[in-house]
Amino acid sequence: MIELQSVSRLYRSDEIETTALHGISLSIRRGEFVAVMGPSGCGKSTLLNILGAVDRPTSGQYLFGGVDLARRSEGVLAQHRARHLGFIFQSFNLVDDLTIAENIELGLIYRKGRSGSRRALVEAAMDRVGIAHRARHFPHQLSGGQQQRAAIARAIVGEPDLLLADEPTGNLDTENGAQVMDILRGLNATGATIVMVTHSPSHADQAGRRIDMLDGRLVASVAQAL
Amino acid sequence: MLQSVLIAFWRSFTRRPLYAALNLLGLSLGVAAFVTLSLLHRFETGYDRWTPERDKIYAAAIAFNVPGVAPGARVGAMGGLLEEMKLDYPQVRGVRDWTQPAVIHRGAGVSSEQIELVDADFLTFFQVPLIAGDRGAALRDPADLVLSETMARKYFGAVDVVGRRLEISDLAGRNAYTVTAVLQDLPKNSNLRLDFMRLLTPRDIATTGGWNIWGIVTLQAYFKFDDPAEVPALEAQLPGFVDRRVGKAFGDGVTPHDIMRLSFVPLADVHLVDPKQRAAIEALRLVGWVALGLALINYVNLATARAGLRAREVAVRKALGAGAAVLRLQFLGEAGLTIALAFLIGLAMVELALPLINAAGGLSLGLDYRVDGAWVAGVFGLVLAAGLAAAVYPAFMLSAYQPAQVLASSRTPSGGRFGARLREGLITVQFAAVVAAFVLMLGFLGQIRHMQAVDFGFRRDGLYLVTATRGVGATTQQRQAFWSAVQRIPGVTGVAAGSAAPADQTMESNSTATRLDRPTRPELSPTLNWSAVGPDYFQTLGTSLVAGRLLDLAHGGDEQYVPNAGPETVTNAVISRAAVRQLGYASPQDALDKLLDFQNRKTRIVGVVEDMRFYSPTEKTPAKLYTFNGYPAYWPVGWPITLVRYSGLSEAEVRARLEAAWRQAAPDVPFEGKTALVNLDRYYKPQRDRTNLFSLGAMVGAGIGCIGLYGLAAFNASRRTREIGVRKVLGATRAQVARLLIGQFLRPVAVACLVAWPLAYWMLRRWLSQFDDPVAVGPLVFVAGAAAAIAIGLMAVGGLAWSAASAEPGRALRHD
Repeated sequence: MIELQSVSRLYRSDEIETTALHGISLSIRRGEFVAVMGPSGCGKSTLLNILGAVDRPTSGQYLFGGVDLARRSEGVLAQHRARHLGFIFQSFNLVDDLTIAENIELGLIYRKGRSGSRRALVEAAMDRVGIAHRARHFPHQLSGGQQQRAAIARAIVGEPDLLLADEPTGNLDTENGAQVMDILRGLNATGATIVMVTHSPSHADQAGRRIDMLDGRLVASVAQAL
Repeated sequence: MLQSVLIAFWRSFTRRPLYAALNLLGLSLGVAAFVTLSLLHRFETGYDRWTPERDKIYAAAIAFNVPGVAPGARVGAMGGLLEEMKLDYPQVRGVRDWTQPAVIHRGAGVSSEQIELVDADFLTFFQVPLIAGDRGAALRDPADLVLSETMARKYFGAVDVVGRRLEISDLAGRNAYTVTAVLQDLPKNSNLRLDFMRLLTPRDIATTGGWNIWGIVTLQAYFKFDDPAEVPALEAQLPGFVDRRVGKAFGDGVTPHDIMRLSFVPLADVHLVDPKQRAAIEALRLVGWVALGLALINYVNLATARAGLRAREVAVRKALGAGAAVLRLQFLGEAGLTIALAFLIGLAMVELALPLINAAGGLSLGLDYRVDGAWVAGVFGLVLAAGLAAAVYPAFMLSAYQPAQVLASSRTPSGGRFGARLREGLITVQFAAVVAAFVLMLGFLGQIRHMQAVDFGFRRDGLYLVTATRGVGATTQQRQAFWSAVQRIPGVTGVAAGSAAPADQTMESNSTATRLDRPTRPELSPTLNWSAVGPDYFQTLGTSLVAGRLLDLAHGGDEQYVPNAGPETVTNAVISRAAVRQLGYASPQDALDKLLDFQNRKTRIVGVVEDMRFYSPTEKTPAKLYTFNGYPAYWPVGWPITLVRYSGLSEAEVRARLEAAWRQAAPDVPFEGKTALVNLDRYYKPQRDRTNLFSLGAMVGAGIGCIGLYGLAAFNASRRTREIGVRKVLGATRAQVARLLIGQFLRPVAVACLVAWPLAYWMLRRWLSQFDDPVAVGPLVFVAGAAAAIAIGLMAVGGLAWSAASAEPGRALRHD
């Protein structure tokens, strides 16, 4: 489903040029659960941003379902994100001024050509992560684990083709982290494709494939038996 | 989309009430000031909209190019202008309105009113709105009377009064009239005052001198042109017309159109024909725009400052697939809603504040939504357009955030150096406006104080003016009886009569004076303003004598009324100090005993008195010549104003005693009178009112500026919380941190002073140039204006800086 061919990403500031990704080639099949590991600054988040179409490669090709996204306009990328992608962040990134239900609804409202009741989908998503009783609360009224579950509900409410998770357990304690991993494995089991960046080897072990990165390069890609 | 706009809008109130309140309050104040001053502008420029013919009607105006006469066109015409125009231009259509004092009789009671002597087709010409009667037929007979709704109620207690009779005394004597029509009351912003109207008759014309004397302004003449192009075409022929019609009346070798210019002023422009008045009204409208501009600057500042806080939201929305265009639409939608709400609040503020504003500004503004709906909608459209234009930058700035960067960093973006510079620049502009407004306000107030403190050349207090003695129907016996009675009133120390009194220009008359002690060409002779005075006139006013002597009954040659006077008859006169200059004498002493040719008589100057400021502060005190007419009881109607000097009495007491004496002497003529101070106040009130309005506007502007400064200071203080924590951990004291924060806020204010001073200086000089006696502009006004603005700014940010500086460093460091 996803093909990265020799993707590089350079950042230029006033005087310094940093290479975050060095000619990465990678393919991910539908239904895969991929964990990306590596030390801080190795390019994990840049890779995830490129996969999430919020950043663009400096060179190389990014094929999503056979379509090259590397050179598409901002508007096309925005619609691509709305239709095909779901995001989960380490710091949850719920909108402070919106209730949990409204935050989850955000996962639907930017999608063009979609009609029908959003409420039913929002409720279903909340049920799947077990926070339906918190629908009318604001994010700051929830615990970290609850916030992350709400963020997962927002990511999956539109049934995206690809779920991108950037250290989804990084801000959580062990118990809440385990709960989040349970949800992600459950989603994978029902067919979701997931790419997850993590620092936790135990969480990485729960993925079907593990990719190790160092200094902007892929150093290992290992299929794991679950 | 709409839903998410509404949610964001609603949550901004429930979640951040302080920010939302500051934002709304600032905008609402700006809207309120803008709406109020737009209302004022609409009122002042909307004169005579009651007539559907407004755009076709022009008033005759006249301007003189003569030394001693103020230049500029005055609306008014010679009595015979319309007839003479019709002789040369038969196609011309016009009507006349000659305003006369009148006394209305009701049983034994009398009251003073004003009556319009008009042409038969006046009602159809103006399409005067009638409640009862027939426009075409109402003014056919000299005994026909048309009156206004208010007058009908006043004199008959009803509106339906066609056919009722009323007795009126005016220049045609006491006559009975029959009401033939009742007109709707005209709005307050009307140049025409149509309380009573009757037909202008040949007999009326015969009673007045000067009906066909060029240069004498008697009445208003209105002309109607269906095609506006006809006006300049006819105006171009007017110099020739003037030359033909005046002939040699202005003297040999004089080209009449060099001295006198006729023109047509559109009815819509009559009210603001004086460019100073128009400039004042336009300036107030500008203040309204400035207030709105300041409020929008606040909006932009607060919106861009808060943008950093919304960056994460924007990034999330973008990651979830929102395009920049959708987000821009959302932010503009939020701005539109905010502005709409601010408009409603502003409108409510206007409604609440209008009584205060009307009182302060001497106005009668009001909003009637049934009638003014379209106007309000138009103003709303303007405000919304201006608001959305202001909201474009924050909307673009917000929607341009790159999600990857924002989501990756733990810190919120600041909106960049450009955003910070923009905010600082806008705050500078805002404070420059506030400083300039304060400087101007102080300057205006200084001039007003100066005008009222300056020596008027006579004693203003303790002086009562009784105008009833010149009124219609007052007889010689009645005047005499009144004056003797007044002299006996305890507390009255002097009584005199004159045709001129403070702030009374009813009997203004100008004539050329030619010096006979040196040869001069007549057309170069200056014009003197002439008044008749009775015994003790100058003594009663308290005027000081500069040279020579005053006029009295004891000196034979003083009396102006000389039967069978010929060109060789010499009468004595007193002139003013300004006349000494105007006539070119070296000194007041030098003028004494010199002879003038004045009104075809030989006139000897026997004394020089101080200039007396009877006039508006914007008008130059004219050069005066006073003739002595020793028996004021015999003066014609319109001449003798009684001046009463009193002491030890209150205004009410002196009025009561004078009125009682008048009723005794002349029961059939209404009493009229007021103190000199009250009468003079009509000239000073407009200036004071405008200054009050401007001051109100300046206060609102300063308030808006403070709201903006406070909002921004609050934002900066919260952004710098972590920095403050670090500084304190490193040993900074609370005072040092507070100084740092205050310094940051005051820098733009200091720059603002440098921008504002030259601007305010220029505007103040321009405004002062309209006055005959402008106050000197010193540096104090500028320093004080800036100090006031800085003090207000300090109040806005001082407390905030102090509390931010007082935060515990530990908590400050945990703050994100």
